[in-house]
Amino acid sequence: MLRLTHYLLNRAVSRFCVLCIGSVLSMFMPTSAVHADNGEPKVLRVAFPTAETGFDPARVHDMYSSTINESIFERLLTYDYLARPARLTPMVAESLPKISDDGKTYTFRIKRGIYFSDDSAFSTPRELVAEDFAYSFKRMLDPRLRSPWAFMIEGKIAGLDALVEKAKRNGKFDYDTPIDGLYVVDRYTLRITLNAPDYNFNYIVAHTPFSAVAREVVEHYGEDIMAHPVGTGPYRLKQWIRGARIVLEKRTDYRGMVWDFQSNDKNDDPLIREMEGKRLPLIDRVEIFIIEEAQSSWLAFERNELDYVGIGVFRDKVFEHDGSLKAVWQKQNVRLVQAIDPEITYTFFNFRDPMIGGFSKEKLALRRAIIMAYDRQEEIRVIRKDQAIQANMPIPAGVVGHDPRYRPLNRYDPALANKLLDAFGYRKDKNGWRTLPDGSPLTLKLATGTTAIDRQFNELWKKAMDKIAVHIEFNPGKFADHIKATKACQLQMWGTAWIADYPDGDNFMQLLYGPNTGQSNNGCYESSAFDALYEKANRLPDSPERNHLFLEMTRQMEVDGAWVLGVSRKSNVLVRPWVLGYKRHPILNAPWLYLDIDLTLKQ
Amino acid sequence: MSAAVSHYSKGFWQLTWRRLAMDRVGVVSLIIVLMFFMIILFSAFGLIASDWNHEVAINDAPPDLWGILTDKHTSVIQPSSNNTLSEISEPLPELSVVDPLAEDIAKLRTPIDFSSHIIDPLADTLRDIGYSQYVSTDPTTIEKRTSLPFGGDRWGRDVLKKTIKGTQTSLFVGLTAALLATFLGTLFGAFAGYYGSYIDDTLNWIYSVFNAIPYLLLVLAIAAVLQKRGIATVVLILGLTGWTGVFRLIRAEYMKHRAREYVMAARAFGVSSLRIMFIHILPNVSHIVLVEISILTVAFIKSEVILSFLGFGVAVDDVSWGSMLNDAQSELILGHWWELVAAGGAMALLVTAFSLFTDAIRDALDPKAQGAGA
Repeated sequence: MLRLTHYLLNRAVSRFCVLCIGSVLSMFMPTSAVHADNGEPKVLRVAFPTAETGFDPARVHDMYSSTINESIFERLLTYDYLARPARLTPMVAESLPKISDDGKTYTFRIKRGIYFSDDSAFSTPRELVAEDFAYSFKRMLDPRLRSPWAFMIEGKIAGLDALVEKAKRNGKFDYDTPIDGLYVVDRYTLRITLNAPDYNFNYIVAHTPFSAVAREVVEHYGEDIMAHPVGTGPYRLKQWIRGARIVLEKRTDYRGMVWDFQSNDKNDDPLIREMEGKRLPLIDRVEIFIIEEAQSSWLAFERNELDYVGIGVFRDKVFEHDGSLKAVWQKQNVRLVQAIDPEITYTFFNFRDPMIGGFSKEKLALRRAIIMAYDRQEEIRVIRKDQAIQANMPIPAGVVGHDPRYRPLNRYDPALANKLLDAFGYRKDKNGWRTLPDGSPLTLKLATGTTAIDRQFNELWKKAMDKIAVHIEFNPGKFADHIKATKACQLQMWGTAWIADYPDGDNFMQLLYGPNTGQSNNGCYESSAFDALYEKANRLPDSPERNHLFLEMTRQMEVDGAWVLGVSRKSNVLVRPWVLGYKRHPILNAPWLYLDIDLTLKQ
Repeated sequence: MSAAVSHYSKGFWQLTWRRLAMDRVGVVSLIIVLMFFMIILFSAFGLIASDWNHEVAINDAPPDLWGILTDKHTSVIQPSSNNTLSEISEPLPELSVVDPLAEDIAKLRTPIDFSSHIIDPLADTLRDIGYSQYVSTDPTTIEKRTSLPFGGDRWGRDVLKKTIKGTQTSLFVGLTAALLATFLGTLFGAFAGYYGSYIDDTLNWIYSVFNAIPYLLLVLAIAAVLQKRGIATVVLILGLTGWTGVFRLIRAEYMKHRAREYVMAARAFGVSSLRIMFIHILPNVSHIVLVEISILTVAFIKSEVILSFLGFGVAVDDVSWGSMLNDAQSELILGHWWELVAAGGAMALLVTAFSLFTDAIRDALDPKAQGAGA
């Protein structure tokens, strides 16, 4: 899932909030709260570092909006909260699907008695049925919707692509014609037939964009659907102040579940004792504040206005020199939850860009020289304050296909980068900047935000490019605008990040697959060699053979100089003692359903 | 009895200077302002702080005024290649990806850790220039200071030199933008006030439009439209948005002067309107222009700081007080206060001195004020 490279978005206004966030928070603090069944409500307060974009699961592409959707909508399958590595479990399905012997047919049985939350789009309580998933999956490919997640099922479900073709001709997507690939056997049974075996299909149906939406709601709200999420999940959207505050409220009519998870990690024992046997959900209200400056959310946590916070660059405020938690936090019984996120950051080159794109040897040399000049260790040390590890493969640690033995081809070596540019005729002009081999000027344009952290990255890039005498300019803009330009292959370079949607290397390698250009392939990198390897891997189940193909793909993208690979960030979260059951999940982003608050501790 | 004095009356500027010299605060602030001007002249000609971009110290070097005497250094190893991965005990299986640069790079270095089937088109070249997967050029050791008189920034650059360079940027931006804004304001004000009627109406309408939009929003909107960052952009933004105050004052003055006898006389002589406006009337309102320039300079220095702080200001390879404050904000919570203090202190000093100087000059320029020789 697309994620901010930095932990911030570029909003000029946010700077003012360094000063005013305290007062803003206290302004929003409710004076009279909605009470739960027994006394005081359990309210969880968290911060997002970037604004949401909306709440249509099929359409949103950023992690933070999707996190909200995760707790409003439900999928067929989900992940076990404690099992590591991540393990699939049924969500609205009765069990994991029955898969036919040829690996092409998946049959899901949906639990009876699951209802959508009340909405004016429904006249009577609306039960979730198999047809809703058939509708929601078809909707992913509706050309008018242009879902950024279409790539996940494109060409995979029997008969679906014919519908898409027809829609492109008629201008209207036909939702009514049943197709073989999404066959509704009875009210509660859905049979999905694939064109070819796909070993990741269960992961796909567990992914938030593949949540069930009701057709009545989609048609009732039309274009306004982004503001009206109506799902079967434990929470509903209570209040939404765009870019400032989101409030989720527990649904009283949610079917609920009992906290019952096992762990093979002894460290989880206290957590299990805290939570075992409790009836979920327990949090009555989740209040999400959009706080773009890390410093502001940090200060809000210090002032007890947030219940947990990622420590980001504030390592020195948390750890002693020996790595232990500072006394000030120990005294407050604040817990530290550590993990390395299954994610990578990367700066892509646009392969359609006339200046740096293409596969000629000169361009290869240029891109690889740029990669060799960029000092990731300095990024980690100075900008990320050691809260990250260097990524050497597009597949991060903790995800199937990652190989810690892999040594990158384009390592930091500015001297070599200079020699390489010299060898391919990138001569210096009278001002000392390198030109293209034909003598025309060479200027890189790196897209960027306008926050303090963006400036730090720009400084680092400037330093790196000065080392190889390549002129670089920065193109400041908003995250949303940059995304739009990226999808149209119009940005030359931009740093972005991807966090696993499911714990398989395929989810990362697809970022480089040619046909995904315009969707998730930001660099519009279309290498026939890479694509051939990718397609070969796609036909294989998890195996040493497929892992080897992942290595080959990594080498191929390095040879082509597709990305400046970045880092995997460490996720260090400080949690207030009254928040029970918190554990960072590698895939799920909204843990709220699984948490509890100890109100006596909070007093 | 001084007969010589009584022979002629002193000129306007002479009297002004007399009055200014009597004002002790005015003189002190003038000296401070002049000092700043000296600094930016030296820095503009590269005599000082031209190497502000050099990373002379360790990251976030603390300030230490005695450090300049002791001159403590530490050795920092600068790897020329990242060998952060531990050596691989188990070799990787062969890869078939062909690296087109492999041969080129291999020529520059020794062979890679596994023979890949992937063709690297650059392989030959790389071999030529001595590439090796294993061997990299020896790490170099460089000396870095452990502290600096005013501290070092995140990358180890001297905060003092950054402040000086930032002074140059900020003062330059403030002055040129003030000149631009005053020029526009005076020009429009003169036309509106002198001609009146529909010219006045039109210019007033433009003025009202500019004034109706909240200042900071207008500035940010123009900054967003211009996209390209840099000092010239900031000057343009501030100049184009800041002329309205001057316009109103000058317009009022011209309306007043239009009816004066000397203007009537000039008109009766058949002097052209432009000549009346800029040769006859302008000197009589020049003291207002002068005061406005100094007021705007201060205002624009502050605006530049805000713009750069918000990320719309100077480019990455430039430094201004605003960008320093921006840098400092994320470091402050980690206890690195020196960049904030240096930039904030310099700004406070200049802005205060400049404001006091402006007050003094306004008093001095007022012909009705009582002063020496009046």
